[in-house]
Amino acid sequence: MTVLEVRNVSKRFGSLAAVRNISLSVPKGELRAIIGPNGAGKTTFFNLISGFFRPTAGTILFDGRDVTALPAHQRVTLGMARTFQITEIFPELSVFENVRIGTEVAGGYRLRAWMGRAERDGIERRVTETLRLTGLESKAHRLVGELAHGDQRAAEIAMALALEPHLLLLDEPTAGMGDQETYEITQLIRRLHRDGKLTIVLIEHDMRVVFHLADRITVLDQGSLLADGTPQEIAANEAVQAAYLGRAA
Amino acid sequence: MTQLLFFNITNGLIIGAFYVLMALGLSLILNLSNVINFAHGGFLVIGGYIAYTITPYVGFWGALLIAPPLTALIGLVVERVLIRPLYGRDPLYSLLLTFGLAFIIEDGTRFLWGAQGKPVTIPAVLAQPLSSDFFFITGYRLFMVVMVVISVTLLFLLLRYTRLGIRIRAGTLDLETVAALGINVRMLRSLNFAMGIFLAGLSGVLAAGQLGLEPTMGTGLLMPSFIAIIVGGVGSLTGTLLGGLLIGVASGVTAVFLPAASEAIIYVIMAVVLLIRPRGLLGEEGMLT
Amino acid sequence: MRGEGDARKLIALAAIWAALLLAPFWMVPLGGYTALGTRVLVLGLAAMSVNFLLGFTGVLSFGHAAYFGLGAYGAGFALKFLAPSTPLSLLCGMLLGGIAGALLGVLLVRRRGVYFAMVTIAFGQVFYYIAFQWSSVTGGDDGLRGFSRQPIDLGLFSIDILSSANAFYYFVLLCFAAAVTVMAFILRSPFGRTMIAIRENERRARFLGIPVERHIWIAFTLSCFFMGLAGALYALVNNFADPRGLHYSQSGDFVMMAVMGGMRNFWGPLLGAAVFVVLQDYLSSITINWMSFLGMLFVAVVLFFPRGLLGFIRQTAK
Repeated sequence: MTVLEVRNVSKRFGSLAAVRNISLSVPKGELRAIIGPNGAGKTTFFNLISGFFRPTAGTILFDGRDVTALPAHQRVTLGMARTFQITEIFPELSVFENVRIGTEVAGGYRLRAWMGRAERDGIERRVTETLRLTGLESKAHRLVGELAHGDQRAAEIAMALALEPHLLLLDEPTAGMGDQETYEITQLIRRLHRDGKLTIVLIEHDMRVVFHLADRITVLDQGSLLADGTPQEIAANEAVQAAYLGRAA
Repeated sequence: MTQLLFFNITNGLIIGAFYVLMALGLSLILNLSNVINFAHGGFLVIGGYIAYTITPYVGFWGALLIAPPLTALIGLVVERVLIRPLYGRDPLYSLLLTFGLAFIIEDGTRFLWGAQGKPVTIPAVLAQPLSSDFFFITGYRLFMVVMVVISVTLLFLLLRYTRLGIRIRAGTLDLETVAALGINVRMLRSLNFAMGIFLAGLSGVLAAGQLGLEPTMGTGLLMPSFIAIIVGGVGSLTGTLLGGLLIGVASGVTAVFLPAASEAIIYVIMAVVLLIRPRGLLGEEGMLT
Repeated sequence: MRGEGDARKLIALAAIWAALLLAPFWMVPLGGYTALGTRVLVLGLAAMSVNFLLGFTGVLSFGHAAYFGLGAYGAGFALKFLAPSTPLSLLCGMLLGGIAGALLGVLLVRRRGVYFAMVTIAFGQVFYYIAFQWSSVTGGDDGLRGFSRQPIDLGLFSIDILSSANAFYYFVLLCFAAAVTVMAFILRSPFGRTMIAIRENERRARFLGIPVERHIWIAFTLSCFFMGLAGALYALVNNFADPRGLHYSQSGDFVMMAVMGGMRNFWGPLLGAAVFVVLQDYLSSITINWMSFLGMLFVAVVLFFPRGLLGFIRQTAK
């Protein structure tokens, strides 16, 4: 069963073609990594999938349903959750409160003016569970803005998880992290993939993480699809090597 | 009937020209610095009163030459001292500041010059109507339009061809990049603000000759300026130009059929534009914040 | 750890309500008078309604006085042309303000930031203009007169809120309490939390599945209903409805009250309203240039006390 299918999608900004005619297909339960040199259009591609803006051409299907024209918040309700390259959280609220909002939306409570005791307890239990999954239980009542970078990223992932998604889009989850934090986030993502049976697509620059986690890798370069295959195939692919090495650091 | 219509359209264009002058100054400041200058009407009044005060010494033409730059100078000081500290903050604060400033200016002019309206004498050569046919186009009103045309042309030329102008336009689109290019953004904002206030001061001098002077005259002109900007499209000076003329003409024409509604029509136009083209006539997509 | 903060909050809350309940008694020895307290309550409610949007949703609504004014005219019309019933006048005022807000909100909620502020002001001015020009109906510049608040007939006895300043004060306090309780309820609900989410990070809120424009519209409409109620009460305070109540300068006053008291605090705007009303009363009695002093106050608050009184207190307490 295909969770995400992208068909011939392109995005132009005026005369700039940021994404050119990309197609890919992610089956259920896969962990797909999207890699490519800087400026390859990876985040733009994510923005298209998640509904940040509409493609200039092409179709996007989520769980078999055409979502190309659907606004972002509705894609979230259908089960798509994402994190951003620059962490988007509610810095002046506690970790608990950050995760609670997503949990309430997922529970269908976002328009409610009142919640009964039982419902409130239910929400609280689910938030605590999400925090436990991401290892943030002990920091539940601290302000997210005051946490270390790695914990903030974990908190953002927790917020995404709170939405009970079937597709998780992670944009450079290990950006700006040291070795220890990278390890922890990688373990978290692996846990979520295996235990939660989530379909995950992630953009990553850190090749250790990519080869450690990915079932399949898609390589983008200058807005186009360069290669698509298993980690072994990609590692051996000469065009990919050229694309990376051809760009002087 | 057609002569009446013609009269009103021309009248409307004259009114519109005036709105344009005010609205352009407001638009300049809004586009670059994200500040709604509620005190814009106040600077108009200051310009008028300065002209009134110095006319006995330098005559009308002298006042026309001196009052706007002087007003711009005051604007520069205000920007440097009061508005600059607020640029990084929530736009709410600069709104409230210019709001309070408007109060101070209104009361201040009342304090300095009294609450009574003051007459301003214009040179006799301008006071004559052009001809008996066009009795409503006095020399002064034509002069006003000419001044507006000159100012607007100079403004657009400045923005198009001078370095300052190019930087302002670039800053309107992406201030961060402009700053990253090493351009002194603070100075840019100050100069831009001063330019806007110059236009307000000029409007004040012109208005004084036409309407006489009183402390509250600025606030009445603020709303049409707002609407000119909204109708023309936020972020576009040409749009503001168009918007000002449009509402001026609409106002003039409506005066033929329904005199009482000539003011209301500009609000109706605004509502219609917002309904069918929310970004304004020439506004740009994504300029909504 | 959490209990301590909660206990402090409860004490503060009790203190506030005690002060409000006993106002007619402690105001007079301080040189005040009951009607002043009534005005503070009504304007405080208006400021709190504006803050519903400004402080809690993060939306820069600056033309809100329009709905306040509509509430006043609604109440006036009801008393003048419908029936001499105070509760009905309040309902009419509330509905007029709220429904206008709901309709205009549709046009307004797509914009943000200063553009949003501009459009809200412009639309607010439409109502001012109508009230000013349509003098046959609204009384024009003189305002709507010829009505007064009616005694409340509770069957067994009636409460004379017309001649008894104290009785009227407690009536207004009751309405205030009801409105404020509903407001607090909403803010603590899941919906209220989405409002705060929108304020904290609109993009994140959107990507958590919150339909941002729709929620802003709902918050806007709710706030306009409260404004309508405040306006209706104000008409009852003065037995008079004024076009000036619709002018954007009135909006500026409300925003200033919210900022002055502290936007992030629920009770901040009430405090701000109290300070503002007392100051304005005092200033206008000692100088004719009170307007420039008011303007200077705006400037001072913006430059030096942006977090308002309560924010300032909280900061120095840390």
